[in-house]
Amino acid sequence: MDHASRLERILRGIAIAAMVLFFMFPIFWILLMSFQTNETILRNPPSMAFAPTLSNYAALLTGRLDTAAGTLDIDFMQNLKNSVILSVFSVAVALLLGVPAAYAFARHKFRGSEDIAFTLLSFRFAPPLLVVLPLALYFQDIGLADTYIGLIWVYQLICLPLILWIVRGYFEDISPDVEYAYRIAGHSWFATFRRIALPLAGPGIAAAGLLAFIFAWNNFVFALVLGSADKQPVTVGALAFVTASGIQYGQIAAAVVLSIAPTLALAIYAQRYLVEGLSLGAVKG
Amino acid sequence: MAVTADIDGAARRRFRIGTRALPYLLSLPALLVCIGILIPFFTAVYYSLQRYRLSQPWAREMNWGETYWQLLTDPSFWNTLQVSLAYTFFAVGLQLVLGLGIALLLQERTRLNNVVSIMLLLPLMTAPALAALMWKLMTNPNFGILSYFVTLLGVEDFRWASSPETALMTVVLVDVWVYTPFIMILLLAGLRSLPRQPFEAAALDGVPRSFVFLRITLPMLMPYILTAVLFRLLEAIQQFDIIYAMTQGGPGNTLMVFQVEAYLNFFQSTNVARSAALLLILWAITFAISNVFIKNWLRLRERARGEI
Amino acid sequence: MAVIELSDIVKRFKDATVLDGISLSADEGETLVLFGPSGAGKTVLLRLIAGVVEPDAGNVRLGGRDMRDVPPEARNVGMAFQNFALFPHMTAYDNIASPLAARRSAAERVREGVERVARLLKIDHVLHHSPRALSNGQKQRTALARALAGSPAVLLLDDPLRNVDAKLRFEMRLELPRLLAAERATTLYVTQDYREAMALGDRIAVMLRGRIAQLGTPEEIYLAPASLEIARLFGDPTINVLDVTPERDAEGPFVRLSRLRAPIDPGLDRAVGRPCALGLRPEAIRFVEAGQRGAIPVTIEAETPLNEKTVTLATTARGREILVSRPSGTSAPTEGLAHIAVDSAHALLFDRETGLRILPEGKRADVRGAAA
Repeated sequence: MDHASRLERILRGIAIAAMVLFFMFPIFWILLMSFQTNETILRNPPSMAFAPTLSNYAALLTGRLDTAAGTLDIDFMQNLKNSVILSVFSVAVALLLGVPAAYAFARHKFRGSEDIAFTLLSFRFAPPLLVVLPLALYFQDIGLADTYIGLIWVYQLICLPLILWIVRGYFEDISPDVEYAYRIAGHSWFATFRRIALPLAGPGIAAAGLLAFIFAWNNFVFALVLGSADKQPVTVGALAFVTASGIQYGQIAAAVVLSIAPTLALAIYAQRYLVEGLSLGAVKG
Repeated sequence: MAVTADIDGAARRRFRIGTRALPYLLSLPALLVCIGILIPFFTAVYYSLQRYRLSQPWAREMNWGETYWQLLTDPSFWNTLQVSLAYTFFAVGLQLVLGLGIALLLQERTRLNNVVSIMLLLPLMTAPALAALMWKLMTNPNFGILSYFVTLLGVEDFRWASSPETALMTVVLVDVWVYTPFIMILLLAGLRSLPRQPFEAAALDGVPRSFVFLRITLPMLMPYILTAVLFRLLEAIQQFDIIYAMTQGGPGNTLMVFQVEAYLNFFQSTNVARSAALLLILWAITFAISNVFIKNWLRLRERARGEI
Repeated sequence: MAVIELSDIVKRFKDATVLDGISLSADEGETLVLFGPSGAGKTVLLRLIAGVVEPDAGNVRLGGRDMRDVPPEARNVGMAFQNFALFPHMTAYDNIASPLAARRSAAERVREGVERVARLLKIDHVLHHSPRALSNGQKQRTALARALAGSPAVLLLDDPLRNVDAKLRFEMRLELPRLLAAERATTLYVTQDYREAMALGDRIAVMLRGRIAQLGTPEEIYLAPASLEIARLFGDPTINVLDVTPERDAEGPFVRLSRLRAPIDPGLDRAVGRPCALGLRPEAIRFVEAGQRGAIPVTIEAETPLNEKTVTLATTARGREILVSRPSGTSAPTEGLAHIAVDSAHALLFDRETGLRILPEGKRADVRGAAA
């Protein structure tokens, strides 16, 4: 903006500052809170001046919470572990199954492929509870309720369509001639998939995998319905923790920080992939 | 002269069967997910046509459309519909205005703008349930920083999500905090992909910037806006995480949106049939919205391409 | 021995029949050019032979073996694509090495093979570059090198010069025959450029709308096109076409050009009375002095020098446009009124209704494989 007026530049600066403040402040404030004791949190008026303490994190890590009323066992680390297990395995399974399927969708217009695509598309935005509540009853019957396997299965409902959509787009962007050329050069179908299609769709697969991981990590409703306390991820666990720990606000804040840290770190580390995945997922969906 | 390696009949058959079956084999997982979606879906349809309470298994029987009729004559259903629509309208409306504004602010690829847009990615990457928890802490009447700010402004006893007057505003605020960046990212991608010529031509001709925005930028951006709004509408009308984590639908039934109502019907009153019927009505609404949008979206995309 | 044999190939995409009963064979070491406008089905035919597209009917035999259900990797063909189709994530070296690597050859053998074709195509200095870093010409040579590297028995070249600039196209047109002869592969070469077809082909198959309209040596097709359409596709400037109805008098059959009697081949007697189109190559027309026997008065409209030849556009008294071609440097009138004479004995006569050529009686043997 070379001919922007001085006033306009100032207004822009103010707008950007206000925006950053609004979107960053909650994270910043929770982070501060997590390093405070209950006494400093409850000060009125609130103040930025306090002696930072790691006691909240220590309590979470050791699983023991010493309060005036006595000692309380907390199992937040189990929630964190559950989140890792559920997200990592869900994405791994979704990639393992979804990438070849995306390739089949992109390359072979076979009978029924459009029907499958349409079903996935039209249910992509169906209310999750519509699928999960009946599943909860089925899971009770077949013994999958409250198991990692049952949850990972249900997580495929979000991970697999996401990977299918995004990765299919990337496979479609690869010229079939490039693959034909490799076949004609004497390589099998599988070698062509592995050495040509997979590397060329690599960025898309990475973007889809990251996005699926974040969606899985942030999911709330599946585990709320289908998992009991010892299988629940941080999203559900943190909420239960609020009820259990009562007024231990410092620990709640620390738990929130630990819960959102992995996805935020991923977002910063791989923001370009994420933006691409989000835009593509939206536009191609 | 041997043109090909010798290929026996069995290998050929294997190849033939392999090539035909391969796509089906590869798409099997997608098919399974489809089945995994369709079976519960039809089960839900089936439940919704029954009298079915988990607590009264003996009274379970088909009653066909009666559950729906009961719903439509129940004021609490109309409250649910109204709350869901209000939530959707305010959340998506605010997000669109803010998201478009921010995208325009950050349109140029400067280093500062890139850093800011990465920062804006963070709320979107926060789990909505946890975001609600964060805002719950910030609006806590005892120590919440926002509660403190409000008292500085001279407003006493502002109770945020705990008061029926301000509960909707509070959850909408959380939704705006989480999802505005989504609209911003899509519109920013859209803005940056617009062709330059119309803008350069307008600048050369000295066309006023408000005119450029209304007559060039906005129409060309419309497919992106519609896509972003569609995604947000469909998610907002189904919002569960934020509201459930914040108030579980309360206070009273102030925030009893579709999915929260359905969840509580299922687990608290164990009324499976009513829960399924509510969710199917919600599904029908989302289906209608997406159909209308997709049609408009296709038409607009054609037009935008034509103008370029 | 025929290395490539196609019989009655039919291929449909949805409702459109792309290939409609193609039968063709190519002998060992032969370069057979598939020539035709875009949409004629040339590329599909190549892909069918390579095995990446399957025919709906008919039979592909390579080296005497039926290729039904034989996957592309087992056909021992090399193919160069019009858009090059290089592997973008591999260096030029790895691109060229891919056919050799597929056979699990020893690293040393692979290196020798790559260097041999790279030297042949003069790209040995860019082998470590990625395709992105190559010029268009280098990409095209890399694609050719990759097709050649495995020493395939059958070489399929899909308009490889289409996407390179004019200078390079000219160079490669001179270079390719030598290269193909050195490789001794049986080659199918697809092109839309008749000059390329004439320069490279031992034989040319003219494809129109999914059929082979004519098959013959370049000379046969140029001098004795099977139809008006083929005559128009071959030659630049395009052939002059005049509507005539042959007549007969005591001296034999003739046509009237601007009311002048122009004799035609006596063998064309059976065309008398039929509405015909007379095809006159621009080089079969020359400028003459007024008053010379058979001289037709024309008005010169424009003159275009085309390197080795000069083309003049003239109109006859009845307003018909005529293109006249002569070697550059020879003198001719450049404006105003002039006279032309036509070597009508060598004119081509086509049936106006069917577009097919009417062959002089007794000369039928000259033309092999007329219209399908």
